[in-house]
Amino acid sequence: MERKLSRRAFLRVSSDAARGSCFALSMPMILSACRRAGEAAIKEEEFLNLSEEEVVEYSAIAARIIPTDETPGATEAGVIYFIDQVLGQDREQERLILQEGLKELQIATGLKFAGFYFHELDEFQQDQLLHEIEDTEFFGTIRYLTIAGMFSSPEYRGNRDNIGFDLLGFEDRHAWAPPYGYYDADYAEKGE
Amino acid sequence: MAEVVTFPSREPVDFVIIGSGAAGGVMAKELSTAGHSVVLLEQGPHLQAGDFKHDEWGYKHNGDLVWGRRQGHPQSFRKTENDEAVEREVCLGYAHNVGGSSVHFSGNFWRFRPIDFNEASVLGPISGTTFADWPISYDELEPYYTKVDWEVGVSGLQGPWDPPRSRDYPCPPMPVKSSGVILERAGKQLGYNPYPAPVAILSQPHNGRPACIHCGFCNGFGCEVNAKSSSMATMIPLALASGNCELRTSATVSRINTDESGRANEIVYWDAGGAQQAQRANAVVLCANGAETPRLLLLSESELFPDGLANTSGMVGRNLMFNGWSSAEGLFDEPINGHKSIPTTRVIHDFYSMDPSLGFYGGGGIDSRHSSDGLPMGSALGSGMFGGPRWGSEYKKLLQEEFTRTVAFHGHTTSLPQASNTVTLDHNLKDKWGRPALRTTYADHPDDISTMHFFQDRSVELLDAAGAIKINRIPIGEQEGNVHILGTCRMGNDPDNSVIDRFNRSHDVPNLFMCDGSSLVTGGRGQPTMTIMALAFRAADYIIGAARRNEI
Repeated sequence: MERKLSRRAFLRVSSDAARGSCFALSMPMILSACRRAGEAAIKEEEFLNLSEEEVVEYSAIAARIIPTDETPGATEAGVIYFIDQVLGQDREQERLILQEGLKELQIATGLKFAGFYFHELDEFQQDQLLHEIEDTEFFGTIRYLTIAGMFSSPEYRGNRDNIGFDLLGFEDRHAWAPPYGYYDADYAEKGE
Repeated sequence: MAEVVTFPSREPVDFVIIGSGAAGGVMAKELSTAGHSVVLLEQGPHLQAGDFKHDEWGYKHNGDLVWGRRQGHPQSFRKTENDEAVEREVCLGYAHNVGGSSVHFSGNFWRFRPIDFNEASVLGPISGTTFADWPISYDELEPYYTKVDWEVGVSGLQGPWDPPRSRDYPCPPMPVKSSGVILERAGKQLGYNPYPAPVAILSQPHNGRPACIHCGFCNGFGCEVNAKSSSMATMIPLALASGNCELRTSATVSRINTDESGRANEIVYWDAGGAQQAQRANAVVLCANGAETPRLLLLSESELFPDGLANTSGMVGRNLMFNGWSSAEGLFDEPINGHKSIPTTRVIHDFYSMDPSLGFYGGGGIDSRHSSDGLPMGSALGSGMFGGPRWGSEYKKLLQEEFTRTVAFHGHTTSLPQASNTVTLDHNLKDKWGRPALRTTYADHPDDISTMHFFQDRSVELLDAAGAIKINRIPIGEQEGNVHILGTCRMGNDPDNSVIDRFNRSHDVPNLFMCDGSSLVTGGRGQPTMTIMALAFRAADYIIGAARRNEI
């Protein structure tokens, strides 16, 4: 029996980790991430399902759900690529929820900040709008997909460079040996 | 490996087995190695160790193993038969692959105890239920539990906390995890008897399979080294090596036909290419699980069997049981790292049978695990459970704090059988083959809910005793689906209120056997797979003898 002792998926983490994530926002961290990737161009063909407007707006929301602060967030993890990919996999229901919800969010945005798209607002303004909709199906769906894109296997185009795993303290290994944590180490030491 | 055997479909084989899961795998191995010709039909693919990966999205959220609406298998749910059934992605969840759910289950392998088989006569009837004794005793099943221990492979520690056993475990218990230490210390402090959880995961090499390497991806995943004792890893290879068993995958059975005398003689199915096939058989063993077994019987209605095959009792699809579940989670100061190694290493069974003076029926066990099976995405979805924001920078800090330092004490509890809880056909909803979908009608018995609360209270006390710095009770709601699908073709001596006899033979159709979760009369305390396998070994023993005596 052939055994896989290393994750096939991890080999597929592409060198374009940060490249595609930098066009929507202009936070310094993201720009530096883009520079590290050595390329700032957006390749349209990289998105399989989302429109350009969806890409920038969903990216902006995802970046508030898991922001970039002392540690990388949804943007650096390429969450938007995950969302783009899975929405094409027989997820019409979720797709519609997102599209309808985005329209409503854009209307709410316009009412408060006339002439602006959601992604053009500052963080404080964005959070203000998101707090108002956090109990909606739309927010629940985009939160779910953002978290999925952050913490699922990189083979689905999110969680680039294991950014999500690192954030949690999760290491995807194929073998562990005791002690696993503090308490079993202590238990062994005391000979319980 | 023996040559791959193929049987012509127009000539009857000795047995067609429908479903290759916990029971079907055992049945295929036993019957084929006894020299019988067997065709084993499985609707899913034959995934093996090298096919599995640490893919939480695919397995837990995309239905890669547990098919649902997106794979063309929608289901529906309603609380009572007066309600309109609502379409669900999945309601009764089971894995669609060779080995069935024994491939992706947690590996928790508790035997039932003597009381599980005669509890109704000990406690007396419970109103609104079909609570009944089994037609067999623990002692009758014990040799087959031991067979499961040794042939399938179980790790554990023999002791006074264990149900009576005729032979020790083949493998010592798995190394204790921090979550287990926390439960053990708290349990001892409160005067309970925590002990190593028996698991169908190898702590040392056994029967040519390797020991677990503690990767942490058990529950919901297939084992990548064959250390988990699924029927795929243990039984199917032996069945195929016998040279008497043909495994046909991607084979979805549409009905079981009978001859004029009412004997099953033909199984009709769609093959991988969608073409309809029919396999003749001298006898049929239906091991399609507690959802699909009754569904297939109902789909096999005919002039001779207008209410569905083997259903003169009207009990096919009734008495659906799930097992109750409740949980409390705690945050601790130091790293627990529940994502490493197997789901659970310690269990407390001091409340196996609760005191009837509490005023409600119930019992169960408490084990300790990571709150979200140690999975990154599931954990992040649940983070903020101790209060706090569910998104933003503060939420991100909670993620970092909670993932490695939480533990959940789960209560796995009883579920009373009720005739009104059913699996039936939804004629308003069709699957990809055009068959009426699985429709679940289910409402928890009030005692089941009381039991869940009782166990959650104990879990909270234990977490408190263990020194948790924060504790959260996961809200207890009414269950609307499960992966334990039990009781829907119950075993019994009386053909008027049971579907199969004490040897898993249909009361109505003498050459038709049913063996899987549907056979269970009561649901035990939350870990049914070992009992399903033991029943399969026992039924196979009987079937082989009956075939020899020409009594099938």
